[in-house]
Order: sequence, then structure tokens, then C-alpha cells
Amino acid sequence: MKKRMIAMLMLGCMVLTAAGCGSKSSAKESTTKGTGAAVFNGKLESDVTIRVLENDTAISKGYFKELIDAFNEAYKDKGIKAVDANMDQYLDLANDGPYGYGPDVLYQANDVIMKYAQGKHILPLPVEDFDCYDQIPETAWKAYQTKKDGKTYTCGVPVNVQAPQLYYRKDLLPKDWESTWDKDGDKVPDMVQTWKSMYAFSTERHKENAKTYGYMKSLNDMYFSSGFLFSYGGYIFGKENTDPSDIGFAAGDAVKGAEVLYQLASAMNEDCIDDTITTNAYSKLADGTYFATISTPDVYSTFLGELEKEYEAKGDSKDAAEKKAKENLVMTTLPALPKSGSLTDQSDETIDSKSMGGVNGYAISSYTKAPNACLEFVKFATDYKMIKKRAEMLGIAPAREDTAKEIGGTSEEIYKNLDKGNIILMPSITEVSQIWTPGKTFFIDLAKDVFRSDDKKKYKDEAAMKQGLTDMCDQIREAITTLQ
Amino acid sequence: MRKKLDTAWTYGLLVIVAFIFFFPCLWLILASFSKSGSIYSFEGFFPKSYSLATFHKLFTDTKMYNYPRWFLNTLFVASGSCILGTFLTILTAYTMSRFQFKARKPMMKTTMVLGMFPSFMGMTAVYLLMTQFGLINHLWGLILIYAGGAPMGYLTQKGFFDTIPRAIDEAAKIDGATNLQIFLQINLPLAKPMIVYTALTSFTWPWSDFVLPKLLLKEKDLYTVAVGLMSLDETEFARFAAGSVFIALPIVILYFCLVKNMVDGIAQGAVKG
Amino acid sequence: MKSKWKQWKNFIQGSTGAVKLSMLVMGAGHIRYGAVTKGLIYLLMEVSMIVYFVTRGLSDIAGFFTLGTQKADAWSGVEGDNSIVMLIMGIFAWIVVAAFLYFYIQNVRGAYACQKRSQKGLPQIGVKQELASLLDQKFYVLVLALPVVGVCIFNILPIIFMILIAFTNYGGKIVPPELVDWVGLDNFKKLLVLSKFAPTFGKILSWNLLWAVLSTALNYFAGLGLALLLNKECVRGKAFWRAFPILAYAIPGFITLLAFKFMFSYGGPINQLIVSHGGTAFGFLDLDAKWSARIIGLLVNCWISVPSIMLLATGHLSNRDVTLYEAAKMDGAGRWKQFWKLTMPYMIFATTPVLLGQFIGNFNNFGIFYFLRGGLYMDGYFLASDTDLLINWLYNLSIDNNYYSIGAAISLIIFLITSTISLIVYVKSPSYREEDTFQ
Repeated sequence: MKKRMIAMLMLGCMVLTAAGCGSKSSAKESTTKGTGAAVFNGKLESDVTIRVLENDTAISKGYFKELIDAFNEAYKDKGIKAVDANMDQYLDLANDGPYGYGPDVLYQANDVIMKYAQGKHILPLPVEDFDCYDQIPETAWKAYQTKKDGKTYTCGVPVNVQAPQLYYRKDLLPKDWESTWDKDGDKVPDMVQTWKSMYAFSTERHKENAKTYGYMKSLNDMYFSSGFLFSYGGYIFGKENTDPSDIGFAAGDAVKGAEVLYQLASAMNEDCIDDTITTNAYSKLADGTYFATISTPDVYSTFLGELEKEYEAKGDSKDAAEKKAKENLVMTTLPALPKSGSLTDQSDETIDSKSMGGVNGYAISSYTKAPNACLEFVKFATDYKMIKKRAEMLGIAPAREDTAKEIGGTSEEIYKNLDKGNIILMPSITEVSQIWTPGKTFFIDLAKDVFRSDDKKKYKDEAAMKQGLTDMCDQIREAITTLQ
Repeated sequence: MRKKLDTAWTYGLLVIVAFIFFFPCLWLILASFSKSGSIYSFEGFFPKSYSLATFHKLFTDTKMYNYPRWFLNTLFVASGSCILGTFLTILTAYTMSRFQFKARKPMMKTTMVLGMFPSFMGMTAVYLLMTQFGLINHLWGLILIYAGGAPMGYLTQKGFFDTIPRAIDEAAKIDGATNLQIFLQINLPLAKPMIVYTALTSFTWPWSDFVLPKLLLKEKDLYTVAVGLMSLDETEFARFAAGSVFIALPIVILYFCLVKNMVDGIAQGAVKG
Repeated sequence: MKSKWKQWKNFIQGSTGAVKLSMLVMGAGHIRYGAVTKGLIYLLMEVSMIVYFVTRGLSDIAGFFTLGTQKADAWSGVEGDNSIVMLIMGIFAWIVVAAFLYFYIQNVRGAYACQKRSQKGLPQIGVKQELASLLDQKFYVLVLALPVVGVCIFNILPIIFMILIAFTNYGGKIVPPELVDWVGLDNFKKLLVLSKFAPTFGKILSWNLLWAVLSTALNYFAGLGLALLLNKECVRGKAFWRAFPILAYAIPGFITLLAFKFMFSYGGPINQLIVSHGGTAFGFLDLDAKWSARIIGLLVNCWISVPSIMLLATGHLSNRDVTLYEAAKMDGAGRWKQFWKLTMPYMIFATTPVLLGQFIGNFNNFGIFYFLRGGLYMDGYFLASDTDLLINWLYNLSIDNNYYSIGAAISLIIFLITSTISLIVYVKSPSYREEDTFQ
């Protein structure tokens, strides 16, 4: 995620990117999904090559090759060929497309794709014709909808859901966890079910051996930290993330989320102030220093790889290490939060964890020479067979209900969370680019405060924390409005 | 005795300086040989165990990150802009130092002032121009920009030419040499250290610049090393380090090839007196 | 002024029809008086200019003023205008016009000169002769032509573009396919009215100046000192010792910066050492670390810049007049005296441009704090942190927050301040005023 932010900034450095104005659609009243652009006339172009931009994981894990091979095989006699666009996965279509250097079909995150939609750099799609139309939940479709001239258009096809997941290692659980850490007796350790137990376990683990920790995560990562605020009533922008004049990080009881974070940080070390944990979590989880962390599902294979390497170094054979790693590394949904906002409270009442998330999907560039062929490709790539293969090969959580159900496990959980509204999708308006730095600064300050000496502490009570959150919102508001 | 003490001091200082410069490099070099590939498995500054695997991977595993290709691309761009850029810069500096013409002082002031402009603010313009000229995704488009902008930095070289006595020129002129001949046969050989310096800097720049190549090269196969390394995944630290170490290699080699010319300088005292 | 007028009057009265015709048909005068090749070149120039104008020049210049009239809409297939492309091609057209005007005047002047030569009965200067003079008296024209064209296109044009952007509303929501408009001084007015702006500007400017002076002095003297040290007679294996800074030089700056950032981070080796010896981790570059971050920035920048200054100084040192030193030695001057009386004045003279270049480079040093400590907004600063330099702030404003035209306006103000200062320093420096001191 971090890397992605950097990449976006980098790209911004080259050429100014912001596209168009904030979407004013209040997505609720969408009754008709609108039709696709006029260019989708059903007449397939022949003898065309379409350049497809996929994400790096899909390419490196070999899924993308299978996809285009299958597509090229199926459309060989129609003269359509799909190739790897061979470009940066975070490229900015608004910069390259108009001059003819972009891909024809692209796979990116919903906030990025919808930014293109504001400038009409991508085409609205006739999604009702799609095989996946009924299988994908309304929330996911909404992430790709925009309203122009009173009509609602859908500009992308959701493929996979990105939301923070808890990663932990089964073999690092206390041996007697079934008797000591499973009060509700559901055969799932308590510490991966509630943050309260996780906190207690973290403190205990660190006490036993000062070199080891329980749950670890850099607080400075806005993408992960803001979920704690959302769980207690915070939000990004008002009116379902469409009204940038209303910034809601301090709204409701969001301050309780900040308190939970503060407490969690107190069971970590200074590494949580900067990026350290974000980058070292892979190897530290593998060597047993950390017990658990949170990250997105797409890095599952990286965690797995590190763990395999560790087992191998300890003398296991390659196959045994692989098997052991798969068994011991668990990716699951986030633990529940205490309703009171205190991890040391007596009460056991909990609420669901919400988190920031995204839906990645396909879109078609407005600058393509072969829109109908591209449409065929997107249809092909989002049908049941391909999505299933994708989920199997990449371990992603599909946005299609049928595949999510069939794969089960975490994929199904993520799908359910999306359906329930526990995943707050990243806003699709341009102002969202201005929340990151003020947010990051606040969370760094919060994390730093844990390690400040008592006389220098800034966030001693709830009021101070609330003030901190309000200041962060003000900073974002200033960034958005001052110079407009 | 005093001389010995002085020598001891000098060497002491040299060792310290060498350490200061070498230590971070050594760290990077050893990191690239790290077996685990993760920077966080180090003990203190250095990896626990070493292997050549990263380098092997760097050059053979080209499916995602085609380092050999990037390396050749950069070598091409760097050599091209080195030759063209050095040529243009030296000529400009020489002219500004030796010729008196009306536009000279205004030109000197203008270039001085232009250098103050924050360059990234003009990047949009460069990108748009290149799209209009159809030079996106062309390596020599990069060479054109690097070399085209190089003369802006002529001031350093001019300062050098200013210190070469003009008496030599005049003597040659009396013998009937044209300005071109004077430049080629007299001043150019004298300016060797400066040419080497210019060549080295204009060769080095494309290796470390990633803003411009990122802007102009959209295809992964055309990436330069700097852009490629920035696109590496964050878990690939050892590969990043190995790639960085390899960037340094051609530059160090070039330096050792050229170092002789750097210190030779002006034929000692041959002119004055 | 008067003499110009007189020249003009003389020209009108004294020139023949053919010369006057060359004001309309370029090259006519030349051809009439026998300089046919040159005349044809001028004629060709005019023809190609007309072709350029008809095909795109005129519409480019019109576009420069309108910045587009038809908004593009890819969904309904409307191909519209791209304002910023129109702006840049407009500037390009103006540059072409300026170049053409220059040749146009040369053409009329040349034609008149041809006429005079012919009246005096002198033969015309042939193309061959003209070319030969390019290798001799006019050597500078030949040499400078290419660099000037390159600099015009790749440096001056983008800068003009940026300056003009400060007078448009480009940025925020108004980016292509939206149409951009000229807004006059609106952006500057905004900057004056905003109370947020001035305090941040003041704080950052003062730190920026301090930074530029300190880092320039540090880099320069460290580089010079290193060069002198390596130049000492008693040092054997100079190439070997010099290789260490070269190695540092050969590793690209952004890699060095990322490496140093990691070294000083909480999980980095330095903190690991501190913790393993019983200390608590120290946030060298974090939120509260104003001065430690600044000092680390200075030192890291020094590490990066010193090798190249050393290289340069070595080149200059080798160009010293050794006889002077021998004479000084004979006069009994000690080493310090030699250094202060001979080496320093010489080095300062030869390297003033370097000093200035260093100053400018450091003043606009984007990378250092972007990589070491980017992405923080501090209290009391508007969209900036306490280590950010003006250029980092500009980046935050114009790229992170999309205020492109405002960013351009600020950079124009900064540019005016800094360029005035450095221009004054430069014009007063010995290497500009007394270029032949060390001849």
C-alpha cells in the first residue's frame, strides 16, 4: 500500500494528474445503470491487438499468461489478440492515454479508475450484459458508478476486494491455548477474535521474552490505521464519501479508535512510529519475533514465501517447509473491537472492525482503437472460470459471490464484510489525495506519543486525542479549500 | 621528523575519509550478497550469511524485472549523452571564455538565472513537447534532452578555460592558425582534466536520474536502471542493493580509465615564464 | 535613438528596388547582387516559414490566446482542444516567429550590404568564404548554434511555460479535458490575501537560506580540503585513495538517500546497535526531530556532493602554475602562506561558478528531504514540515495537492528573489568581472 502511494506521488511528480471534478452523484438513487458508450456497437474489430495492463502479482504468478493464452485461443479465428501492455502497473491513464501511449484495457483500483472517469478517460460499460452482473454486490458496483448529466454510468468491472486482513502464525500460539485462550470454546484462539485478547496476549508475550512481540503494525500507515476510527463512527467524506466539505475522521466516537490504537502501540516498540514494521513484518513474522500483523490479501504469498524460507533454513525439506508454512500461516478477518474503546476494560461487549478497502477491477480506455474487442476481453476475464482461476492462483478475494462462496474461507468472509458495509471503499473523488499526509502525520504523532516521556506526552486523555483528530480534519480541510 | 609526522597525519586523515566514504558502500555491497534477501535479518549492519544467489537472480530472473535489459538501455543513454553532452558543454564553455561578442554577457547572465528555476515545475512541458515530437518510448529522446540541457552547466568548464593563459592562443594566431585549429590543437589537449570531469558527470547523471526516464519511457523493456530499481517490490531489498552496486560498476571503471588524464593537467610551467 | 533613425532614413533613401523587394521576398537583394546561393537560402527560409504558418503556426498562435474553445468528450466521441498542449505549441510558435524575425532582419541588412559592396565594385562574399569564417572569426556562431537551440527547446521553453501557467487557472479541477483559461494576476492576489501563506513562506525561506549557505560552505570546503589532501606530495597511490569517494559518487543519489534513511530509521542498524547496548531507540528523522533531521540532512548531502567537488578541484589544482609555487618556496614562504596567498585566491577564482552552482543546487535540493523525511505536515506550517525546503513545499502544493497554477506563481516569486540575489553575487564576483586575472 505504502509503495503504491509512493508510486502515485512519483507519477504525480512527472505530470500533474488530477482529473475532473468531484462526482456529485449520491449513488443511492441509481435505478438504471445507464448504458455503455456509443462505441460499443457490438461489431467486433478484427485483426487487432489489444494491450492489457495487469497488476504485477498476476504477471509474476503466471495467471496473466494463462488468461491471455486462453483468450487468444478462443478468439484466434476472430483476429483478436491480447498482449501484455508491458507498462508500469500504476501508470496514469490521464497522462498517457490522450497521447496514445496508454493501454487499451487496464486493471487498477477503484479510486484510480474513477479518477479517470471524471475526465472521461475510460468508457462507460454496458455491464448488464455481463455474466458477472448479478453475482457482484451492489456496493462493489457502486464503487464504479458515476453520474454525468443526470445519468448513472458504470465505468469498471469489479474483480477483487482489497481489505486489511489479520495474519498470524498458529505455531506461535501458546501450547495450551485451547484451555487458556479460548474462553468461548469455539476452537478459535481468542486473540485473533478480539483486539482485547490480542492486546493481553501481546503484553504477555513481550513480558516472557523481551525480544518477541505479539501484534505489530506501523501506525503511520493511514490505510490501516483509519479503520479503527471508522469502526467507532468516523468516516472520510460526508454523503457516502462524495462531499469533501464534510471530513469525518473525528466524527462519532472515532476518538475511541485512536485510544485503541494508542493502547496497541504501547505493546509494540518504537518501530511502529515509522515504516519499519510495514517492511520488516514479512521476515519478523517468519522468524517468530512477531506473532501477528495486518496487511492486504495480495501479499499472502510474500508472507508465505518468507516463512517457507525460514523453515527451510531450520532444516526442513522444501516440500515439508511448504506444507508447514501453509498450515501455520493464517490469514483471517480483523478481530472485533471493544465497544467501550478500552482494551483493559472489564466488559466483553464487542463491535465489528471496519476497515478501509478497495475494489480492483477492469476498465477500458477511451483512447482504444478497438473498444468492442476490449469489451469481449473484459467479459472473458471476468467470467466465472477465469475469476475462479485468478482466486486460486493469486489468493485474492473475488468480488463475485459464486466464486467467493466456492473458495470459501477468507474470500467468503471478505465478501460478506463488503456486503455488510464493513469495508469502507476508498472515495472516488479527487480530494481523497489530500487526506494521506495529514492523516499520516497524526498517526505518527500518536505513535510517537506512546514513547514520549510523561512530561512531554500530548495525548494524555480523550479530550486531547479528540483535539488531535479535529486538528487533522482541519488540516485536510485547509489543504482542500484554502487555495481553491 | 616533521615531515614524517606530517605524513602520518595525512595518512591518518586519509584512512578516516576512506572509511567514511567506504562504509555505506560496503554496507550496500554486503547487503547485496545477503542470503536471506531481507534487510531486517541483519545483525547490526551486516547480513548473517552470504550467497551469490541475488546476483544470479538479478541477471537470470528477467520475467518481471529485466535488469540486464535496463542495464544496456542505461549504458546506451549514458554513453550517448556523455559524448554529445560533453562535446556541447566543452564547446560552449570554450566559446564563452575565449570570444568577445555582443550577446556574451547577457547570455552568461541568462543561463545563470535560468539555473535557479525549480526544474520539476517544467517537467510537464518537457513531457508534452516530447509527445508532440513523437519521442515518447525512444531512448534517444532521452539523450536529446540530457545533451540539449547539458550546456546550461557550462560555467564550471568556463572557469577552467579562463585559467588557461591566452598567450598561447595569440602565439598560434600569429603563426596563422584559425580559431578552430587553436581550439582543437592547443586548448583541447590542455583541458583534458575538465573534459574528463564533464564526461564523468554527464555519464553518471542518466544512471541516477529516474524522473525523466519515468516520464518518457512507458514500456518496461525500455526502462533505465534507476526507474527499474524504483519499481522493484519492497521485499526485494537484496536485489535492489545488487542492482545499485552494479550501477556503480561502469562509473568506477570509467573513472579508472580516465583518471590518468585527470591529473596530468597543463604541461607544467611550459607556457609561463 | 537618433542615429538609429538616421540609419533607417539612409537605408530607405539609399537602397535600391531589389533590396526593398527583399523586405517582401527574402533573398531578392542577394540574388540581384550576385550572392545567389545565400539568396536562395533566404528564399527557402521564407517559403518554409509560410508553409509552417499555413499548416499549423497560425492556429498554434491563435490557440495560445484562446487556450481552446471546444471541450473534449471521449464518451460522445467529441474531439476537443487540449489547453496545455495548445499553450506549449503556442510558445513554440512564438519562438519560431522570433527566430524567423532575426533571419528576416539579417536578410534585409545583408541585402543592403550586398548592394553597397556592389556599388563600391567589390566582389560579393561567397558561401565558401562565409563558411570558412565560421571556422575562424565567427567560430562562436557555429559552436553556439546547437547548444542555443537545445537550451531554448528543453530549458527555456519549459520555463516560459511554467511562468505562463502562473497566469492561468490550470490545476485542481481544471485539467484537460477541461479547458484552461487565462486569469491574469488572480493567483498572485490569492497569495497576498491568504494569511496562511506568509508565515509558512517566511519560516521555510529562512531555513532554506540557512541550509543553502551551510551546505554550500560545508561541501565546498570539505571537497577542496579533500582534493588538497590527496594532492599532497607525500601521498602514495593517489588513485587508490581517490577511489573511495569515487565509489560513493558512482552510487546514484536516490539510492544513497534511501540507504541513509533506512540507517537512521527506528529499525535501522544504528538504532539496533543502540538498543542492543541497552539504550532506547532514537528518532533521528521522526516528527519531533527537527534539528537532528536537519543536521543529518547536511551531513548526508555533504557525503553525496563532496566527491564531485573533489574531482573538480583536483582538475583545477592540476592546472595551477607550479612555477609560482617554486618561486614562493625560494622566497621562503611557508605552506600556510602558500595556501592562503596562492592556492585559495586561485581556487576561489576558478571555482566561483562552482560555488554558485552548488549554492543554486543546494537551494533547490529537492531529493534530500523528500527521501529522508518526506510526507509530514507540521503544526504552524501550511502543507509543509520543518525540514522542507521551498522546493519541497512547492512540490507539496503543486503535485500532492494539485494547485499547479498557485505552485507556478510561488515558484515565480521564489525565482525572482533567488535569481536577483545570485545574479548580483555573480556579476560582482571576480570570475565574472575579471575573467583574465589568472591569464
